[in-house]
Amino acid sequence: MSRLLAAPANLRRRHRAARAFRAICTVLTWFCLVLLAVLLVHATREGLPWLDLQFLSEFPSRFPERAGIKSALYGTLWLIGFTALFSIPIGVAAAIYLEEYAGRSRINTVIEVSIANLAGVPSIVYGILGLAVFVRWMALGRSVLAGAMTMSLLILPVIIIASREALRAVPNSIRYAAYALGATKWQTVRHHVLPSALSGILTGTILALSRAIGETAPLIMIGALTYVAFVPSGPMDQFTALPIQIFNWVSRPQQDFHELAAAGIVVLLVVLLLMNAVAVFIRHRSQRFRL
Amino acid sequence: MSDPKVVDVPGEPKEEVAPDVPVLEVRDLTIRYGDKPAIRNVSLVIPERKITAIIGPSGCGKSTLLRQLNRMNDFIPDCNMDGQILYRGIDLYDPEVDPVEVRRRIGMVFQKPNPFPKTIYRNISWGPVINGFKGDLNALVESSLQRAALWEEVKDRLTESALSLSGGQQQRLCIARALALQPEVILMDEPASALDPVSTSRIEDLCFELKERYTIVIVTHNMQQAARISDFTAFLDTGKLVEFGETDQVFTRPREKRTEDYVSGRFG
Repeated sequence: MSRLLAAPANLRRRHRAARAFRAICTVLTWFCLVLLAVLLVHATREGLPWLDLQFLSEFPSRFPERAGIKSALYGTLWLIGFTALFSIPIGVAAAIYLEEYAGRSRINTVIEVSIANLAGVPSIVYGILGLAVFVRWMALGRSVLAGAMTMSLLILPVIIIASREALRAVPNSIRYAAYALGATKWQTVRHHVLPSALSGILTGTILALSRAIGETAPLIMIGALTYVAFVPSGPMDQFTALPIQIFNWVSRPQQDFHELAAAGIVVLLVVLLLMNAVAVFIRHRSQRFRL
Repeated sequence: MSDPKVVDVPGEPKEEVAPDVPVLEVRDLTIRYGDKPAIRNVSLVIPERKITAIIGPSGCGKSTLLRQLNRMNDFIPDCNMDGQILYRGIDLYDPEVDPVEVRRRIGMVFQKPNPFPKTIYRNISWGPVINGFKGDLNALVESSLQRAALWEEVKDRLTESALSLSGGQQQRLCIARALALQPEVILMDEPASALDPVSTSRIEDLCFELKERYTIVIVTHNMQQAARISDFTAFLDTGKLVEFGETDQVFTRPREKRTEDYVSGRFG
């Protein structure tokens, strides 16, 4: 009796394959997590003694004990603020156009493929573009504005792709329900499609902005400064940013500066986590609002 | 309960309504998806304030025909047509006709309940609001829910999500949502096929009450349902209108052999 339903050789083989696959996935997942944890712990342990209010409120200095990250932190906030200002409206609008309005014409296919390709272009290339177009040709100089515009170009493809994905996930039955009530396309998109897609769009946007916050290469390319003893007071001011400051400290020989870099990394991570928290908060609020 | 007939909706068609012009008339209609015809040379006149059922085997073009009546097929890219559909004598596909206005006057209820993920109240009020309704919104919401026989069940939870309702309640909410626009015609695309028998019979009762004010066209694959609730029945097969007449006659004394085979369950 027990033999009747026991696994035959073929089934045992299939079970083995299933177990092996599961084991590989588990090991790889944990490998990534442990790696990340080691990095975080290492950075925190090195940087923690340097992390205090003074670190946040002082400008960089050649004396480690007096060095702070104020200009880089403010620079990053200015940069990300303007980047969000440019990239979110344009990116979301482009996604809405491509997903809701554009038909299946050849030019649209070309646009779609191009966007996917642009998402994979190395960031240094965007840096060169920014240097040529924004810094030189538009004569914006090494300003926050030029940096933010370069960063916007860099993350636009990511925002567009993520937003389109979110819009596509909205079931057509919702659109038809709205149309059947005598809604125009814009009313349908504005009142039903966008709110339903909002959390997906936000997630993608925050991920893209997170990428921008950590980017160093394009900023170096367009000439963001490595030593700045002032806080930008407007979009046309010169600036530095957290990753550049970190890079600057790491490249010095003294151990103290390496620990300062670690502290800078912790600040960068905290900024990232705060951004994610904001996204979670907005998402939560928008879902409640929809009810 | 307030009477929504006195509630003003901008663009109400009253002055154009000529009593002797049929509310909906289909003339020699052919609908194609690309080159493939789905409906061939169908002509029929939908009687006013009656329930007209469209029956036929799967894939015979029932839903295609229904969706052509309020221009919902506009959203299907390669769907095209020949012939005419007249609403009160006006060609629905005339270039001067705005499909958005068509859909306000000819409402639709879909196969699967598709309430908006918003409150029950907002589900009803949204349509009138975007169409520029300027009256007493609360009264309109209440009367619409009353007519859809849902008011008693939801009157204390209007601010709850529509998704918290059962499937049958959701479908009645969708009917109430269509009624709130005070349409003349309501198209129903197998409105009970996703529901249990109890909910189904409630929808059927509701249709029966609604025909006093509205012209209803209902697509159904359920012949018993068609026989129970409709006044007129159109039998479609492979895109052609085989027979159209009073439901009694179509089910008990069909003129066509094909109809007889279908309604007696010999195929389909």
